[in-house]
Amino acid sequence: MSGTLAVPAGRLPPDAGASSGSLASRLLSDWQLVLPLGLFFLAFVFGPLALLGYVSLHTNVSLEEVTLAQYTKFLFDDFNLGVLGATLWLGLKVTVLTLLIGYPLAYLYSVARPFWQKLLILLIVLPLLTSAVVRTFAWLVILGRQGIVNETLLALGLLEMPAKLLYTPTAVVVALAQIELPLMVLPIITVLASIDPNLRQASQSLGAGSWRTFFQVILPLSAPGVLAGCLLVYASSVSAFVTQTLVGGGRQMFMPFYIYQQAIQANNYPFAAAIAMILLFSVLGIVVLVNLLARRVRVLSHG
Amino acid sequence: MQVVADPTVDERPSDPSEAPVRPQERALPGTAYSAANVLLQRVTHRYGAFTAVADVDLEIAAGEFIALLGPSGCGKTTLLRIIAGLMRQSEGHVTIGGEIVDALPTNERGAGIVFQSYALFPHMTVTANIDYGLRARGMPKGERSAIVAKMLSLVRMEQYAQRYPKQLSGGQQQRVALARTLAVSPRVLLLDEPFGALDKNLRLGMQIEVKRLQRELGITTVMVTHDQEEALSMADRIAVMSEGRVEQLGTPEDIYDRPQTLFVANFVGTANLFSGRLARDGERFSIALDAGGTLSIDAASPCSRAGRVMVSVRPEQLVFAPLGPGTLPATVELALPLGPSVVCELALDNGEKVKVTLARTGALAGLAAGTRTGLALSPGAPVAVFQA
Repeated sequence: MSGTLAVPAGRLPPDAGASSGSLASRLLSDWQLVLPLGLFFLAFVFGPLALLGYVSLHTNVSLEEVTLAQYTKFLFDDFNLGVLGATLWLGLKVTVLTLLIGYPLAYLYSVARPFWQKLLILLIVLPLLTSAVVRTFAWLVILGRQGIVNETLLALGLLEMPAKLLYTPTAVVVALAQIELPLMVLPIITVLASIDPNLRQASQSLGAGSWRTFFQVILPLSAPGVLAGCLLVYASSVSAFVTQTLVGGGRQMFMPFYIYQQAIQANNYPFAAAIAMILLFSVLGIVVLVNLLARRVRVLSHG
Repeated sequence: MQVVADPTVDERPSDPSEAPVRPQERALPGTAYSAANVLLQRVTHRYGAFTAVADVDLEIAAGEFIALLGPSGCGKTTLLRIIAGLMRQSEGHVTIGGEIVDALPTNERGAGIVFQSYALFPHMTVTANIDYGLRARGMPKGERSAIVAKMLSLVRMEQYAQRYPKQLSGGQQQRVALARTLAVSPRVLLLDEPFGALDKNLRLGMQIEVKRLQRELGITTVMVTHDQEEALSMADRIAVMSEGRVEQLGTPEDIYDRPQTLFVANFVGTANLFSGRLARDGERFSIALDAGGTLSIDAASPCSRAGRVMVSVRPEQLVFAPLGPGTLPATVELALPLGPSVVCELALDNGEKVKVTLARTGALAGLAAGTRTGLALSPGAPVAVFQA
């Protein structure tokens, strides 16, 4: 079979076509391979999205009158805009915090010995193996009035009264940062591992110290991983309904809970659909914008 | 940091460039190359139980070009990395320009290294790559751009100044890597298998270029290579290494014509090895070969004690001769005309194979397979004899 070695993957050599024609015809077109997933996406992602968009263009559930009233209602109301702003701002804070914790962690992993790497990767991936709901409840236990943090501080005499830790904006940011951390760390680990170790040594042999080497060589070269991690964390924390709601306690309204409230509690499906579309396109817009910006910077630096 | 001048070091105080100065205090980079001598004293390096470098003593004069030659795993790259400060030796001392640098990190040693993969910074232009080390030294912008321009012209890369490494060919990348290292005017230039990634045609051109630069700048250079032709053609002296030790240190002529060990004879160039018995024959020596026949030689070196020996004869040291006393009887098996020369493979009477290189002069007819002939040493051939 040495003759097949030079053949690109997915293509059969001409001589194999004669002997196994049925196999060749089955593998013939790529679109047929994509079909199952394509149909799945059409039925369960794009279909519902189109439906959502359709519903959002009506005044009420009877879906009789086509109008942009839901969007104008949202966009010309300070409360609504405040909710959108708070949500996008929350995503930014979570992203910055995960980056500040995640980058050093990923860097530590990249310089650790193999034994510590195995231990670290287990710790990093572990949160992904439990559901977001379970992790959120863990934070309730940690931050509650009778939670671990308060009990410890009281026992040490550092506090007279239990502090209000849960149901604060900070609690939401911290809990979300912990929950989304793997999404930040894993892409950065991947990109750090792909940097030629000789570059670090070349930098040193040219007279650069560790800090210069890090800021001039390692950090710029790990930018693609940082970008991927930030986008993942941002998109995922903006829409983290369970954590936002349970740790935030509903004191501060975020878009996912607003959608839930309008759809389930107020039965105002068209308005809920419009909020969902606005959130979707806001996040999409930010992702596209950041990507464009990053590409422009990369054009400047990589030719 | 310790700045200790080892009293045992030959400091040659007449040459001011060899005074023990710290890299930061040296002359303006890129304008003057203060070549430094390098001294390795009993350098040993172990990875766990494995000894990669064993007790190496090596003295490299200022401005000298030394090649560390050996098969992979012989410790030559480890030794280079120890000189560069990329790893710390288990034992022994490294002295650069009279200063013991064991405690100095890589960025303070003044040893510039060019990696086999070039290790150019992919996110920087050619100019930024060359400028990198100068910026690390905090040099003002005006001086920096003057040096960068000078380096670009030195390696003939002026028109590629704004390119990125991935837009350059292998040879061009290597020029940039060289320029980047030379820009900071290192006291020692270290080359790690510098031509390994280049194809054959390009390699010769770059070898000539590097040799030219090294001569012009007079910079002390240590090159690691497993390619004996590269070492023989470029280096002033060669250290042949095997299993962590320096087998022989000498000029290319020494290494090729007067190998001191069987390993060197075998590793450098092609050698026919015969076993036999050495005997004194008046002023001369004779070797009765196990394969039949006797060789008569002027001098037996490095081993001249009568007894069992191995003798190493280069293919070009043998000539065809009529069968008779003082020759080796052999049968031609194969003749390969290689342009200007012909390589013959012959079989001795006990079946051992012998390679002979002949100038392509006479008719090739006499070289037909099956021809019986005698082999004699060409007069004055420096045959190497080793104790068996």
